[in-house]
Amino acid sequence: MSEAVTSDNLLKIYGKKVEALKDVTISIKQGELFTLLGPNGAGKTTFLRIISTQLMPTKGEAEVLGYSVIDEAKMVREHIAVVPQDVAAYGNYTPWDYSYYFAKLRGTSSSEAKRSAKKALEAVELFEMRNRVCASLSGGEKKRAIIASALSSEADVLMLDEPTSGLDAVARRGVWSALRDMVKEGKTILLTTHIMEEAEMVSDRLAIINKGNVVANGSPEKIKRLAKERFRVVVRGKLNSLPANYEVVGLGDKQIIYVYNEDEALELVRKVLKKGLQAEAAPITLEDVFVKLVGGWNH
Amino acid sequence: MNLKAIKDALIIGRMKAIPDLKRQPLVLVLIAIISAIPLFFFAISSGGEMMGHGLIGAMVSTVGFIGVNAAIQDITWDRYVKIREMIVAMPVHPASYAVGVALAPLLLSLPGIAFFVLIAVGMDTLSVTSFIWIIPALLLCWSSLSAVGFIISTYLYKSSPYTLNNIANILGIGLIFIPPVYYPAEMLGSLSWISYIIPTANVASLIRGYAGLSELSPENAMIRWLILIATTIVFTLLTALKARWREF
Repeated sequence: MSEAVTSDNLLKIYGKKVEALKDVTISIKQGELFTLLGPNGAGKTTFLRIISTQLMPTKGEAEVLGYSVIDEAKMVREHIAVVPQDVAAYGNYTPWDYSYYFAKLRGTSSSEAKRSAKKALEAVELFEMRNRVCASLSGGEKKRAIIASALSSEADVLMLDEPTSGLDAVARRGVWSALRDMVKEGKTILLTTHIMEEAEMVSDRLAIINKGNVVANGSPEKIKRLAKERFRVVVRGKLNSLPANYEVVGLGDKQIIYVYNEDEALELVRKVLKKGLQAEAAPITLEDVFVKLVGGWNH
Repeated sequence: MNLKAIKDALIIGRMKAIPDLKRQPLVLVLIAIISAIPLFFFAISSGGEMMGHGLIGAMVSTVGFIGVNAAIQDITWDRYVKIREMIVAMPVHPASYAVGVALAPLLLSLPGIAFFVLIAVGMDTLSVTSFIWIIPALLLCWSSLSAVGFIISTYLYKSSPYTLNNIANILGIGLIFIPPVYYPAEMLGSLSWISYIIPTANVASLIRGYAGLSELSPENAMIRWLILIATTIVFTLLTALKARWREF
């Protein structure tokens, strides 16, 4: 599989001091959904805006489908579509307006734009509601209408900046499903998010970015293996005697205890239950690893 | 501009105007009413004598006001609904975007302008042949003030939309309601030269001349046209050079 997006030591300094990106090197393959996962202010949006030719980097190089985002922005723009962060739907537009006009701006004929708009709206399950104004749609429907505008462009690479922020769980899953369908069709998707579940559920690969640095890069499974602890036991109440090599995180009246394997987890649960406390064991999540990588469990 | 750029400007103009027109048709009345209010007062206070001057003022103020307000349109599209941000990452030329965003309110103001024109023709204030001059003059006024609008949005990019809205309104009032747009420049006496340098007043004076409401010698007409064309070129160049598309 060849590369759709590459960045090589990308540096962005705002003003004279604020380093938003520090030598970020990333490679995204064609036909994969790649997620940039990071806390607020980590540099995700800056990276996406540079890759989508909206912002110039201070140093470094990046390419989309082999075209430089610095010197060949016009060619890059032929192949990408963007959904910006915190995008709001224009109340007087219908989902059809969004999809049709954005398809037209690609230079297609009216009949071709209509075909693309129909296909995009069907992909996000909004075709039946295509003529309703956005002002009357739910938050999830509005977001899907905007995503459809990017889809209708039939661009090879889609860049979506936190497309599900502010959506409820059901609406979010609707967006995820649409994104995975696009990947099935061969599109490359660059997604940014701070929602761990989203990154874990939809990504083929992801990079964790923190304070402008990429701190981990790989499939969700590979990233989860970066922590040597594989299980966690959540205890309601306080345990006073624990082996010193366990990482323990206090969460009010709960404790999360990270252990190395399933046997240790089950043993710990048995001990806790004997003391009359509640406990449950589960494999560690991407969120556990993320928290450890960006600040440490006890940060 | 190549053919694709012109097509893109028209698409953006359409996508900005048609949904508003279809779903908020009252916007047409609003645009016309803003310009009609001063006309009403000028006509009443002069016992009808200033009606012709007022009608010309209403036409000029309609294109001028929507031009200056292009700044607000741009900021709204960029900051709230982020359509500009989406278009930047598309194969669309910045000039197509600027023309399209400016074109949309022009389309919405056409019924209002047509209304004033019909009255002016009906009252014999304007002859049909004078439109050979009036239409280009109004278009130059619209393009120069739209360019002013975009320059404002560029330099005051970080200001809140409320501040920008106030500035655009102050500028609109300053360019439309204070200078000799609704009334003849001669009423200003020794200050009548102001009508040469303010695009709206310049255009209003030209139209008044072609309508026979004021004196307009061939030399005077040429000076006014030259100033109007030069102002449009300067503001358009400033927009092209200073307006931000890709950020640094």
